[in-house]
Amino acid sequence: MNSDVTIEISNLSKRFRLYHEKYTSFRERFVHAGKIPYEEFWALKDIDIQVKTGETLGLLGRNGSGKTTLLKCMASILLPTTGEIAIRGKVAALLELGAGFQPELSGRDNIFLNGSLLGLSRKEIVKRFDEIVAFSELEQFIDNQVKYYSSGMYMRLGFAVAVHVEPELLLIDEVLAVGDESFQLKCLSKIEQFQKEGRTIVFVTHAPDLAKKICNRAVILEHGTVAIDDDISQATKVFRKDILHTKEADED
Amino acid sequence: MPSSSGLFKKADGRDKLHNGLEPAYLAPVHIIRPNRNIWQRLADIWHHRELLMFLIRKEVHLRYSNSVLGLAWSMLNPALTLAIYWIVFEKVLRNGIPNFVVFLFAGILVWNLFSTSVLGATGTLVANSGIVKKVAFPREILAIASVGAASVLFFFQALVVAIGLIILNSGPAWGYLPLIPLAIVVLLVFSTALGIFLSAVNVYFRDTQHLVEVMMLALFWAEPIVYPYKSVAAIFANHPSLFWLKWIYLANPLAGVVLAFQRFLYAHVNAINTVTHQPMAILPTRTISSYAELLGIVLVVCIALLIGAIGVFAKLAGNLAEEL
Repeated sequence: MNSDVTIEISNLSKRFRLYHEKYTSFRERFVHAGKIPYEEFWALKDIDIQVKTGETLGLLGRNGSGKTTLLKCMASILLPTTGEIAIRGKVAALLELGAGFQPELSGRDNIFLNGSLLGLSRKEIVKRFDEIVAFSELEQFIDNQVKYYSSGMYMRLGFAVAVHVEPELLLIDEVLAVGDESFQLKCLSKIEQFQKEGRTIVFVTHAPDLAKKICNRAVILEHGTVAIDDDISQATKVFRKDILHTKEADED
Repeated sequence: MPSSSGLFKKADGRDKLHNGLEPAYLAPVHIIRPNRNIWQRLADIWHHRELLMFLIRKEVHLRYSNSVLGLAWSMLNPALTLAIYWIVFEKVLRNGIPNFVVFLFAGILVWNLFSTSVLGATGTLVANSGIVKKVAFPREILAIASVGAASVLFFFQALVVAIGLIILNSGPAWGYLPLIPLAIVVLLVFSTALGIFLSAVNVYFRDTQHLVEVMMLALFWAEPIVYPYKSVAAIFANHPSLFWLKWIYLANPLAGVVLAFQRFLYAHVNAINTVTHQPMAILPTRTISSYAELLGIVLVVCIALLIGAIGVFAKLAGNLAEEL
């Protein structure tokens, strides 16, 4: 692996088993022993992608094209069926804002629990605690139970914890599509800051316009394989024309 | 928005780029493969030990959240149970064993830690499916956290038992105290092994949870908790053809742990039956080293079980997020 590469995906495939009916009880397993009907479905087939350090890669594709599966493999939430992924440095995955928040715990306790889930040490959380709270703008409510938070407050806290993990590689799955405009702007400016600092970002979206705003390169997945791997404007143009069959929104 | 200037400074003095990031080539590379072996998994678990602490705190906290007395329940509950058993077995249902409540509680202390751990761990992956599907961390931690939370409750129960011993004026056999740490280690390793194994199996077969509940009842009566070990030993002695049954009985890791706790807390090996006034045997008349030997053998078996459980978990872990 070259020293200027952050992600190297080689020959990656991921197979899912689609059960026609899911037999998870002993009785059903027993009755259907050895002939549980399922279809094999390759969500990803022979993926090879290399991402250089400091790049912001957009992963585009239609629903079901495998982009979230690929992101989950990079985050080691799912393990690949064959092939491997080499990643340099710390990874933070933003698949869902506030995943793992416990409604019964206070915002303060949740920052510690969530930060720890995302790989921060206790010391690091203590050091960044004030910044996380300030970023989330929840100073007033930080000792309230999270179950009393509005969904906006919930997301702000989730994003605040995640970006303070300070990863070398940030994986984002459409979480920016939620929240009000000022929150979105804040997220975007945080992403810009990450880019300036030379961190690598992989961004999953099905919105080419958003990708164009953020990314400098795009990989477009189609039925679990790489259809296009090009710089962002070229890739989104082809994506619109050949896959979405829509017209460029802002013809330039 | 906070000033971002101080945000990415790191405390250590290693080589930095102007933006505060370590040079990329210094960062360690990790590789995601279809399988991770047992040693890699153990290293991952060790690396996440702080997360384990937070999860244990969360579990203990959630158990008593929104109750007025909160954590006090963890002591009130065993204290009230102890009081009820005292009334039942000293005043109503006299079975002849002197100070029976102390005998009973020595076993129940062990049993509660075991059953709370294993039942909690069995359901934990399903109950925490939200984070299993969205966050990457070694999933075994969830099962280990169930054992950890049960250990916290065990600590409070042990305090109650200690206070109970003072009130009942029943002194333990101090000479056997060194057995207790060893017995606790055996108990924790065994509970963790079962917990890790069952937590993963339960994702694929949801009946496991219900099956475990029934098995727990059977296992409870397979331990010398309510009855003294010597009464089953007498059956084995009277039927020499059943000698193999004795070894099956003692091969159950919990039996050795329960006997060690009883030997220390209850202290009486023989006693005078309070109903018939005849002498009766209660616990094996063995030396401390013979008890320790039994626990040592059991510990080796339990460590092997733990490694096996993590091995099974490793096989099932790759598909956990999609099966939930």
